[in-house]
Amino acid sequence: MHHAFKLQDVLENGDHNVELSRARSGYRLHVGDRVVPVNLHAEDDGSQVLTVDGDSRRILVAQHGDDIYIHLDGQSYHVRYEHPLDRLAAKLHGAAEDLITAPMPGSIVKLEVEAGQAVEQGQVLLVMESMKMETTITAPRAAVIAEVHLGAGQTFDRDAVLLSLEPQAAEGDA
Amino acid sequence: MTIGATRPEPPRPPTPALDAARVSGWPFKSVLVANRGEIAVRVLRTVQALGLEGIVVYHAADRGSPAVRMADKAIEIRGATPVAAYLDAEQILQAARDSGAGAIHPGYGFLSENTAFARAVEAAGLVFIGPTPEQIELMGDKVRARNFVEKGGFPVAPSAIEDDDPASFVERARAVGAPLLIKPSAGGGGKGMRIVRDLSVLEQEIERARSEGQRYFGDGRLYVERYVENPRHIEVQVLGDTHGNVVHVFERECSVQRRFQKIVEETPSPALDADKRREICETAAGIAREAGYRNAGTVEFIFGQGGEFYFLEMNTRLQVEHPVTEQITGIDLVAEQLRVAAGEALGYTQDGIGARGHAIELRIYAEDAARGFTPTTGPVLKLRTPQGDGIRIDSGIVEGGEVTANFDPMIAKLIITGIDRDDAIRRADRALADYALLGCKTNTAFLRRLIAHPDFVSGDVHTGFLDANPQIAAEPEPDRATVDALLAAASLVTRPMRDVADAVPDMHAAIGAWRN
Repeated sequence: MHHAFKLQDVLENGDHNVELSRARSGYRLHVGDRVVPVNLHAEDDGSQVLTVDGDSRRILVAQHGDDIYIHLDGQSYHVRYEHPLDRLAAKLHGAAEDLITAPMPGSIVKLEVEAGQAVEQGQVLLVMESMKMETTITAPRAAVIAEVHLGAGQTFDRDAVLLSLEPQAAEGDA
Repeated sequence: MTIGATRPEPPRPPTPALDAARVSGWPFKSVLVANRGEIAVRVLRTVQALGLEGIVVYHAADRGSPAVRMADKAIEIRGATPVAAYLDAEQILQAARDSGAGAIHPGYGFLSENTAFARAVEAAGLVFIGPTPEQIELMGDKVRARNFVEKGGFPVAPSAIEDDDPASFVERARAVGAPLLIKPSAGGGGKGMRIVRDLSVLEQEIERARSEGQRYFGDGRLYVERYVENPRHIEVQVLGDTHGNVVHVFERECSVQRRFQKIVEETPSPALDADKRREICETAAGIAREAGYRNAGTVEFIFGQGGEFYFLEMNTRLQVEHPVTEQITGIDLVAEQLRVAAGEALGYTQDGIGARGHAIELRIYAEDAARGFTPTTGPVLKLRTPQGDGIRIDSGIVEGGEVTANFDPMIAKLIITGIDRDDAIRRADRALADYALLGCKTNTAFLRRLIAHPDFVSGDVHTGFLDANPQIAAEPEPDRATVDALLAAASLVTRPMRDVADAVPDMHAAIGAWRN
């Protein structure tokens, strides 16, 4: 089965499907129809030496759950490992669309809905505050609110799940 | 590229050596820092270097912060929010009494320009490291400060206030000259403001601004002032003592801003020649002298393309960007603040202050430039900072800590000194590349794009520079080689992938090579 990563904070953030296999020395990275010889070697100072296609450079890597942070060539990147099962589930249920997530860190000023309530597309769900500005979050589609995850006055980070919607009965889905 | 043997070193400062015998004669033996983050660390560094006891107050959210680790004593304060704790004057005064602090340094922000706090500190028998409450009050009110400066014969932007004499308002507005800016008296946030470049439409624009003011603020009163096109923000550091001595410590250029907040500051300003520099610096010193100013302060000016400049405001505290001044003059501004507060005379005159080299401060923000500079949060999983000649880092974060939405997103400052501006920019680019914070997105890549922009390199910037060049904020797509390297590194540290690869026996691995 293919593994996949998503590059965070970039415009193009589709899945990158990859596989890793063992080579006589080091590994091979399979990306699309290309095979690239790669290796990673830890240094004493906590950095790593990454070799890609014969070119070596010193990088820094840190992991936090499925989030992988890499400092490479003078810039820091954020890559997320996409679990095969989550991807499958997402494909079947469109799970991401049922979650209302925070576009930026902030706090809840006002909640306009409660669990079980039916809402129209465009209806205001909550008002949040970030950087001293208020932003309203509206319903992306007509739906029933499944759960309200945060209360008024609570603070949250970017991408935090604020509300979830009851899944939409998709056509052809049993 | 050769840097050569020349290291960026400041001239010998005119300030006296602060030995233990001298400091032991001061009226305070300990200083409580009523602040947090990088500035608390910065102030503590000098306080402790002078042999004084350094005390901080902290909210639980800052328990593991560098300032708390560094302080001789740390006292927890509470609040409805972390910010509210640092704004709670009564609790901070209690902490000062409990810890036996002799003086309070407010840093910047929070209570640093709060007249009531400065008064309360003095009433409690403690020394406030800053100006007098009256000076804070005078400069804290924009209209009062402007009138004070104008009365002293210093340059303020020509203006007309409708309330002064409503009948002659249009006439007085016309006399201000074009281009001019009409603002609602009750306004704020840019609402209802109108720029007039052609005086023949002045009256109808005034009527429109009046109806907007009425609509937004329920108040139609207006004032107008000269509008400076593409202005620079240039400010001057001043120092005064309690014996009537006032000097300036040269200027800082702070024109690169986003959302009216500075992100890159430098000194000297690339916009000034020697005569203009003397003129603007002496104007600032003159304003401070007129106010009988005590301690460190900053006079800010709007600087027009034609070299005209007008008083904007005076900040009666240490500035975020004070390090660039320290780097090129060798003067420790916090030590000077403490010395002045202890009652010492400056002991030098303007001629004694020299400057050498060029310093640039880059504010490292936890934010996403490409998403409208929105704040980011996350754990500080790894932190590697650049080292070498000309690199100073004033930081409020440590590895293992966390960047939260509780406070301002500025987490550290990179202060780079070079033998000249080009050298400083070169060193700054390398230092930014070597600054690695893993776990929370920062603006370092954006800062590298910014200082590489030809307009920045030529020193041709104004306060609207980033608005006029939004492409600098946009994140370029990584090329294929970079994506390959990222995927390789990510794959090699991802256990399930490495385990699967390692589970395949060598022979199969060798056979697998046919795909090559």
